Parts: sequence; structure tokens; C-alpha cells
Amino acid sequence: MESLLEFLIQGIVLGGLYALFAVGLTLIFGVLNVINVAHGEFFAVGGYILFCALVLLHLPAVLGVIASGLGAFLLGLAVYPLLIAPLNRRLGRRPAGSLYLVLTLGLSTFMQSSLLAIGGGDYRQVPPLVRGILEIGPTGVSYQRVLVLVVATILLAALFAFLRWHRQGLAVRAVSQNPEAAQAMGIHLARIFSLTLALGVALAGVGGALMAPLFNVYPAVGFPLTIKAFAITILGGMGNLAGALLASLIIGVAESMVVIVVPSQWQNGVAFLVMITVLLLRPQGLLGRAAVR
Amino acid sequence: MSRRTLLSVVGAAAVLLPLLVAHPFVLSLATQALIWALLASSWDLLSGYTGQISFGHAGFFALGAYTAAAASKHLGLSSWVGMLLGAVVAALVGLGAGFPALRLRGHYLALVTLALAELIRLVAQNWLAVTGGPFGIYDFGSFTGLPASGLARARAAYLLVAVVVAAGIRLMLYLCHKTRAGRGFRAIREDEVLAESLGINTTAYKLLAFGVSSGLAGLAGTLYAYYIQLVSPTVASAATTSLVIGMAVFGGLGTVWGPVLGAVLLFGINEGLRFIGVVYNLVAVGLVIMVFVIFVPRGLAGLRLRREGRALRGDAAMTGAGGSGA
Repeated sequence: MESLLEFLIQGIVLGGLYALFAVGLTLIFGVLNVINVAHGEFFAVGGYILFCALVLLHLPAVLGVIASGLGAFLLGLAVYPLLIAPLNRRLGRRPAGSLYLVLTLGLSTFMQSSLLAIGGGDYRQVPPLVRGILEIGPTGVSYQRVLVLVVATILLAALFAFLRWHRQGLAVRAVSQNPEAAQAMGIHLARIFSLTLALGVALAGVGGALMAPLFNVYPAVGFPLTIKAFAITILGGMGNLAGALLASLIIGVAESMVVIVVPSQWQNGVAFLVMITVLLLRPQGLLGRAAVR
Repeated sequence: MSRRTLLSVVGAAAVLLPLLVAHPFVLSLATQALIWALLASSWDLLSGYTGQISFGHAGFFALGAYTAAAASKHLGLSSWVGMLLGAVVAALVGLGAGFPALRLRGHYLALVTLALAELIRLVAQNWLAVTGGPFGIYDFGSFTGLPASGLARARAAYLLVAVVVAAGIRLMLYLCHKTRAGRGFRAIREDEVLAESLGINTTAYKLLAFGVSSGLAGLAGTLYAYYIQLVSPTVASAATTSLVIGMAVFGGLGTVWGPVLGAVLLFGINEGLRFIGVVYNLVAVGLVIMVFVIFVPRGLAGLRLRREGRALRGDAAMTGAGGSGA
């Protein structure tokens, strides 16, 4: 019973991380129609920035996490004008379809190997941002994990509030519903696209910073997460933010709980099996509307 | 120079290479380049030519490699049987992946195949009894009946690989240009709904593309296994898929022979970079993918001196330019 509770708590923490990651990915897909294969590399960048801030520069943890989010945000700002806009310009009115996938796969390879070239392939250890253990009944959970959950909740709440009430957030939602009409209302499309992409990857960057003490940091740390996030977005319904949130928690808890039944090295298979099953049985996902051809 | 003469010149040069160059290292590079060429063109048959985007070819490649290695190691089978088995197993799994693909398009297919490759990697890493886990399979021998060592061996291995690769590519070119299937593939790529309404059996042709493509990717995997003589879970990693897609985009999508060119050149560039001390050569692969997708959609194959007939847009496959796409 104790271990069950422990697995449940760990699953919820994992779900919080997945949500941070998958909601960003879903936001980008919903607005730009781009599936960002390089999302995990921004997670890795966040981890590396935290490593530099904490271990090399001895900055306080709060500054490190903020720097990670900011760094990923700034990198993300460059993606639309440098990669996606030129491709759109060449294609003109033709839809890009899967070319975005190939393009961001290239970005992923480029970023991952650049990190490898700059930082080397070693696993970098990062000290915990906070120490100590929170006792919950018969079991305990480290404050580091609590921090992941708390920050993820705050950031996601802030994002939803931004989209709901802020003027720019309103513009983002307008663009996601109908780019042409939004443009006709005087919304600067390129600016909204850049902003959305940057916001989405900034969430991944913060996630990378928060998880760095638990996962260590290495160039490929984010890629498996990207694939899992695909599974999550498909389970939740492509482009559906609430669905992504719900699916993240489901996958996170399922991954932790499955250890009770099968050996832990198969844990990572859960997401992929879920993804294949969902696509076969209910391709629109849990909360998605049936829009799939 | 027409494409046919160009291809025969290249083919002749490929056969003559082991006679002209008497250096095992160069031959080894050339052999590996050919294996990549088969993998890249098999990806192109499915994704570039038929328009069914696969992000899982590393999985099919690994499946072939592991099947061959395990067959030789645990059952003591000869490499000929191993190659056949590897190709057949990969083709069967490819067909299995093709069934959901009948309902999925574009993004979804790419994501499912990516997950499939990741599952294959997971099995390779954890099924210790058969796959040897993270260390992989080794000590299972090379191609049956090769000379023991030295230049003679390098030459024989090169010729064997060259013949198998050429046969595989020839088969795909034949399918694409000389049979109804080729027209079926193109019709699916250009506009699947229209193709279906014209009475083309898109289901059968899609499955055929899946089977042939994954089978030949598996065959490339078996060649890799017997040539390198070590198969570890890293071959199934997404980096392999990324490299292959990079080769195909570099060479030219939707041509089958363009990716062969792309593979040989990109592999050559990679090894060249390694030679002058740049170890992290996938940076270049990432750059090549991005630059070519944005600015050079037809790849190197599109940079012909003289246009031949009606040239399709190189990336029409992925943009769904034909009509009802997206």
C-alpha cells in the first residue's frame, strides 16, 4: 500500500513534467500547425543552461531556472523567422504538410549534435535545487519533485490565464482558429507565430531545468520525451490543450504504476503502446473532435 | 547526358572500384556507403515516391540486422539464410505497420512509425537472451565463404554488398517505372482520394510500398550486421532515421536513385569530416536537412544539366500539392 501511494505520487510529478512539455508542443501545433520534433532539444538546452548557472557560475537556483526559461524563449524566437517563414515563403500557398516534420527533425539533429560538440557527451550532474523530503503519511517525496509539480502548476495556470485574458493571448487564440481572419483584424501573424513558438519551447526549457537534478544532463536527454509527448498529444487530441494536460497525468501515472506489474526497463514502452492503440481505436484522442480524415 | 547513361557510368565505376583502389580502408568506406544507399532509397520509395512519411526506418533496419545476427549467432545459420530471414521479418513488421497506416496520414503516420522504431529499440535493449541487451550481438561471423582476411576479403565483401544493393535498387526502380504499381504509388502521392475514385486499389499499393520498403531496409540491416559484425541498440535510434532522411533530402525526394547519390556523398562528407578531426558530424546532417528542405526541394537529383520530360515538384509528396492534401 505504501509503495502504491509512492508510485502514485511519482506518477503525478512525472505527469506534471509531461504536461509542461506536452502543453507547449500542443500550443505550437494548434497555432502554427507545426509538430516540433526539436521540442526535446529545448528541454536539453534548459538543462545545460541550469548546469552552467549552478555548477559553473554558482548562481542561485531561482536565477538558474529563470535563465533556462529565458534562454529557451530567445532561441525559440529565432525558429519562426529563420526556418518556418522561409519555407512558407517558398511554398507560397501550398500547405507544408509533413515538410515541417522533416524540417524540425533537421533542427533536432542540428541542436542535439551542437550540444554534443560544445558540451561533450558526458552526463552532467546538477545538484538539487532544494533539499529535504516532504513526509506524506507513511511515505515521503523529495522537495525537488514537489518543486517540479508546483512550478509546473503555476506556469501552466499562468499560460492558461495568459491565453484567456491577455490581449496577446487572445490574439494567439484568434490565430489558432483562423489565421486569415485574425490577420484581417490587424493581428501581426509573424509576431504571434514567433511568440507562440518561443512560449512553447520556453516551457520545455523550464522543464529541462527542473528535471536536470533528477535526470542529469546530456545532449540526447530530451528526445525520448519528445516521442512521449507525441503519444500524449495524440492521446489528448492533437492541438487540444486541456486534453494534453489530462493525457500527461494519465501517462505519467500509468508509467509509474506499470512498474508494479512489469520490470521497470519496459516502463518507457507504455506511452508508445498507448499511442498506437489510441490511433487505431480513437484517432481523435480523448478530448479531440473527430477532425481526422 | 541522359539519366540512363549517367547511371550506367556510375554503376560501372562502382563495380570497377575494388579493382582500381587497392586499399581496405577506402573499400570499407565504399561498402558502408552502399549499405546506407540501399536504406536511404528504400525510405524514399515509401516516403518520397509514395508519400507515406516514415520516421521509423531505423527500426526496420535494426530489425533486419538483429534478425540476421541472432539467426547466425544462436541458430548457426549461414549469412545467406540470415539475409533472407532479416529481410522477410522486416517486411512482415512493415506490413503490420502498414495496416494502421491505411487509416493514418501525414503527421500521424510519421509519429506512429517513430514510436514503432522506439519500441524496437526498447526490445533490443531489454531482451537480453536474444539481443544481448545494451552491448548488442557480436561474434556471429561475417558473410559465409569470404576469404579469411586482407585485401581479397575487402574486395569480395564490397562486391557482394554492391551486388545485393544494386539488385535492391534495381527492383525498386523497376517497380516504380515499369509496372502498374509505380503509377499506383505516384497516384497515391499526388492525390489519394482521386486515385481511389478512379478505381486504383490504394490499399494494395500502399501495403506493397510498405512491404518492399521495410523489407529492403531490413536487407540493408542484414548487410550492415554481417559487414560490421556488431549490432547494438543504437542502430535503432532516431539518429539513424535522421541520417537516412538527411541523405534522401540531400539527394532528392521521390526519385529513388537521388537518395543513393545523397547517401554516398553525405556518408563521404561525414567520413571526410571525421578524417580531418570533426567528430560531431551530425551537425552537418542537421544543417543539410534544414537548408535543403527550405531552399533545394529537389535535392541534388534536381540539379540536372538538362531537364528530362515532365519533372514533378520534388517535395510534392510531402506538401500534398496534388489537391486534397494537407
